[in-house]
Amino acid sequence: MSDSAPPKNAAQDAPVLLDAQHLTRRFGGLVAVGDVSFQVRRGEIFGLIGPNGAGKTTLFNLMTGLTPPSSGSLRFGDQTMTGLAPHQIAESGISRTFQNIRLFGPLSALENVKIAQHARTRAGLWAGVFGRDRAEERRVNLRAWELLDLVGLSDRAGEQAANFSYGDQRRLEIARALATQPRALLLDEPAAGMNTAEKSALTSFIREVRDRFDLTVMVIEHHVPLVMNLCDRVAVLNFGELIAVGDPASVQRDPKVIEAYLGS
Amino acid sequence: MEFLQQYGFLIATMLQQGLLGLSLYAPLMAGQLSLASPGFYALGGYIAAIMLTNPAFASWRDTLGYGIYPLTWLLAALACALLGVIVGVPALRLRGIYLALATIAFVEILRVLSLNLSITGGATGIFGIPQSFGFVDRWQYLWLFLPLLVVTLIFFRQLSKSRTGRAFRAIREDELAAGAMGVSPTRYKVLAFVIGAVLAGIVGSMSAPFLNVWNAKQGTFDASIAYLAYVLIGGSRSMWGPLVGGALLSALPEVLRGLADWRLVINGLVLVVVSLYLPQGIVGSLSPKPRPPTRPTPPPLSEGPSGPPYTSETT
Repeated sequence: MSDSAPPKNAAQDAPVLLDAQHLTRRFGGLVAVGDVSFQVRRGEIFGLIGPNGAGKTTLFNLMTGLTPPSSGSLRFGDQTMTGLAPHQIAESGISRTFQNIRLFGPLSALENVKIAQHARTRAGLWAGVFGRDRAEERRVNLRAWELLDLVGLSDRAGEQAANFSYGDQRRLEIARALATQPRALLLDEPAAGMNTAEKSALTSFIREVRDRFDLTVMVIEHHVPLVMNLCDRVAVLNFGELIAVGDPASVQRDPKVIEAYLGS
Repeated sequence: MEFLQQYGFLIATMLQQGLLGLSLYAPLMAGQLSLASPGFYALGGYIAAIMLTNPAFASWRDTLGYGIYPLTWLLAALACALLGVIVGVPALRLRGIYLALATIAFVEILRVLSLNLSITGGATGIFGIPQSFGFVDRWQYLWLFLPLLVVTLIFFRQLSKSRTGRAFRAIREDELAAGAMGVSPTRYKVLAFVIGAVLAGIVGSMSAPFLNVWNAKQGTFDASIAYLAYVLIGGSRSMWGPLVGGALLSALPEVLRGLADWRLVINGLVLVVVSLYLPQGIVGSLSPKPRPPTRPTPPPLSEGPSGPPYTSETT
């Protein structure tokens, strides 16, 4: 694991970037996410853990507009995200990866990363048709290659994303999410399907990316050592409710968390 | 010349049908199966037919001379773009087969309207439509369809390389992920739909003089299915697919004329065999693998491969 990690509470005094207030989502009678409030400070790596079906991914979906919340709100910096469409939220600077990888499978890795630069480029229909977008296209192409370098996939830039291994697909998803130039990056189980070596490399990679792009990161992860090692703070969801928030060590000792994971 | 006298009409028809196949390809670029093309084709044709025959436009024809023909194309394009937005915004909330059904309903509505309005000539339609630019032979319509086809192909080629083309592909592959990556699905689906509508409308406005007669039979459910067959036969992943499919299927009945009624059987057989053995379509099966992308040389501003990717970005 990385020794070069910054002190874990570096972000303690940073301003709040993500402010979720009473986020709730009901599906019929089921409360998938119930009255969840938390704040993530700028530059933090904020873990989200909980047993299967606790509502972690639903919470990400609420935050990125894929599922509208039944009630509650999310503020991002000084903007309100609640009620915006997914593409508007992405444009505001929240990007994400998916637990069940959602790359554009038949398209090449390079194309995947190019597409995600959409909100940061302007060329319209006619600019494209009349070739007035050359300078912009050059930048898009260059940045796509640089992001593929970052995740170590540039030598396979032309291959179909669907042909990549599970771990490589997850890395490509991170590159694609970074291509939107986010300020907040939500990673949904980035280590799933990776082996131990890849997992520990991922820890330092996420930190490196956070530092380089000045990101705030939220991570859903099941692998406990990774969460403990990586996150500045951790929130625990159980049956849609937030049962604990705090630094990894104290959350791990919290009796409610132990009960949620082991049963009573 | 003799060749054109004999086959010119057939070749012009093949191009015309290929163009109509391409009008289905536009929404398919964004993954939307729309069968609305016959509706826009009929509308474009009616606009041209009315402007070229209706006494209300007599003074326009006198002042503009041959200039009236390009004007019919332009007005057909504008009307279809407008109607495309009006129909597309609500209809594209539907997906897959439901969108196809809604667009068939749209074609039916236009058909019934045209059967009952007096300006469209009711059931008999509009006839005696003057030939474009005083053409004396049908093959001369190649002078219209061929340039339109070339322009359309260049348009699609440029489009698919551009930011808009990437947005279309993203929506085609995964609409939800496209949204999460900053692409507005509604906006680009409507744009793709409108492009198809405009193309079908322009083809219609050129076809009304070509066919001399324009009536409610031009925009029917049968036509929807025929254009869908063009795409299935040719392939929907490349712009050449619908073109080849349209040209081939419209030529087949003529080429097989000697077989009398059997030609329809063969037509059906071709459809079945291609969809069984060439599920990607004829062009889809022939397409070579894409070349691997070549790495651009980094500009002086970049610090090389490991440099921060966004430092070179100023706008």
